[in-house]
Amino acid sequence: MVNMMVDLGGLRMKNPVTVASGTFAAGAEYADFVDVAALGAVTTKGVSLGGWEGNASPRIAETPSGMLNSIGLQNPGVAHLKEHELPWLAEQGATVIVNVSGHSVLEYMQVIDALEEAPVHAYEINVSCPNVDAGGMAMGCSPLSVGQVVSRCRSLTSRPIIVKLTPNVTDITEIAKAAEAFGADAISLINTLLGMAIDAHRRRPKLARVVGGLSGPAVKPVALRMAWQCSHAVRIPILGMGGIATGEDAVEFMLAGATAVAVGTANFTNPHATADVIDGIQRYCDMHGVQDVNELIGALEC
Amino acid sequence: MEGRAVSGLFDEIAEVRRNVQVGPGLHLMTLVAPRTAETICPGQFVHLQIATNPAHVLRRPFSIYAADMGSGEVDILYQVVGEGTFEMVGWQPGVQVPMIAPIGRGWLPPVGVRKALLVGGGVGAAPLYMLCDALCATGARVDVALGAGSAEHLVCLDRYDDLARPELRVLCATDDGSFGVEGFCTSIAQDALQWAASADEPYDYVATCGPEPMMRIVADLAAREGVLCEVSLERRMACGIGACLSCVVDTAFGKKRACVDGPVFDARELLW
Repeated sequence: MVNMMVDLGGLRMKNPVTVASGTFAAGAEYADFVDVAALGAVTTKGVSLGGWEGNASPRIAETPSGMLNSIGLQNPGVAHLKEHELPWLAEQGATVIVNVSGHSVLEYMQVIDALEEAPVHAYEINVSCPNVDAGGMAMGCSPLSVGQVVSRCRSLTSRPIIVKLTPNVTDITEIAKAAEAFGADAISLINTLLGMAIDAHRRRPKLARVVGGLSGPAVKPVALRMAWQCSHAVRIPILGMGGIATGEDAVEFMLAGATAVAVGTANFTNPHATADVIDGIQRYCDMHGVQDVNELIGALEC
Repeated sequence: MEGRAVSGLFDEIAEVRRNVQVGPGLHLMTLVAPRTAETICPGQFVHLQIATNPAHVLRRPFSIYAADMGSGEVDILYQVVGEGTFEMVGWQPGVQVPMIAPIGRGWLPPVGVRKALLVGGGVGAAPLYMLCDALCATGARVDVALGAGSAEHLVCLDRYDDLARPELRVLCATDDGSFGVEGFCTSIAQDALQWAASADEPYDYVATCGPEPMMRIVADLAAREGVLCEVSLERRMACGIGACLSCVVDTAFGKKRACVDGPVFDARELLW
């Protein structure tokens, strides 16, 4: 029997697998396909204080081995999350990471403040969404602003804080170090890569917002590289993501230094993807005589 | 939606039984999918994985054209418009197709509809077929207006004719006049709605599926005569089960998801 339990900066997960925020709503939509309580954690869709409308349609476009999205953090606000989704997740017995979004440092703080009494196990601070004009990636590209938002959030909660990083920077390790220095318990990476797609025949962009975030297997090599670089730059644990669709993909991220992993776009291809990844990690461990999944973390030989 | 934790969706591995070209760029695929055939309602759709090419990370949504509980088969009429449908053309009998079903709010004609008008443009004729069959079975009078580029694009006509119901009337329009009246099916719809009103035999339900500009015209015509009109919308979709918010539609009640809040909407609530 393989030990699958991991500790992500104080967040105890029954296995290393969660979902990438925004690909899984708050889990209820997937309840026909997977038991949300069987995941290491459910990471909920980014939530702001009063809710956001999101961007114009079309919001997605398929690209080779990937997709672009420009949803724009459409969400009904933190009160709705507290009233509907969080009680449901608690009822299921799920471990819950809430992805926290804001247009300003104050808004991030207000969202966390609103959630402190709610059944939440950790926060993921979204300073990396490429599809909003304020907050998100705009805040995640400089060590200074990341430090600012992390330290202010840190002062409000003793729950684990995971800071989600954007890959759209020159050196992601600088941002990772700032997050660590200002009190993050873990970092998650990568958010989507800024990209675009064009319909040549119509001479129009495929997304209404013109640009959007690239995800899926196409980004996996970039994500692996960044997880590996960050694992050498910081001591806090890493939640790795970017194109994970199988147990073997997940193991690669763990070997590169991730303590836990998130399944994102693969949920769209295969609604059972999270369960398949958990099974796949277990099979890998059995096959390679690994007793404890923690043995894989950073075990890359090079 | 919240409070609807388990909605009865499933991922069925369907098997291709037939996949043949039936018109210019138009193909008819018959899949063996007993669970889907048993549960699918008119206007609902399935979400097919393009499993033969993993570079396609997104599934493709298709309305069900026909379902036969006895044989466990479902039919999908599709038009080749992009790389996903191009890949599908190559699916031979025996190919396994993961398919999420049965998805969405289908057609919901009010109970007791006595006279309905169905307006289908192009492949939009297919998602109306099961509705037509169901309405005829209730004894309702059903008028169907089908539009297409030319006679060879009118690939659903035979099936409607084969229903051979006394209460069913099918009228066609083609852009080039090669079959039925020359012009658009919206003209047929306009005449039918006006004639019905003036003869004091009004329709009490209109359903339409096809290109969005066509559906808007039909919805306006129905609204003018005060008749309830449902429309089936098409949007790019990722998850297809209500989670990702890719397929949202602007409505009088805010943004709704075409996949699970639709694809069929009451035209009056749409802001389009």
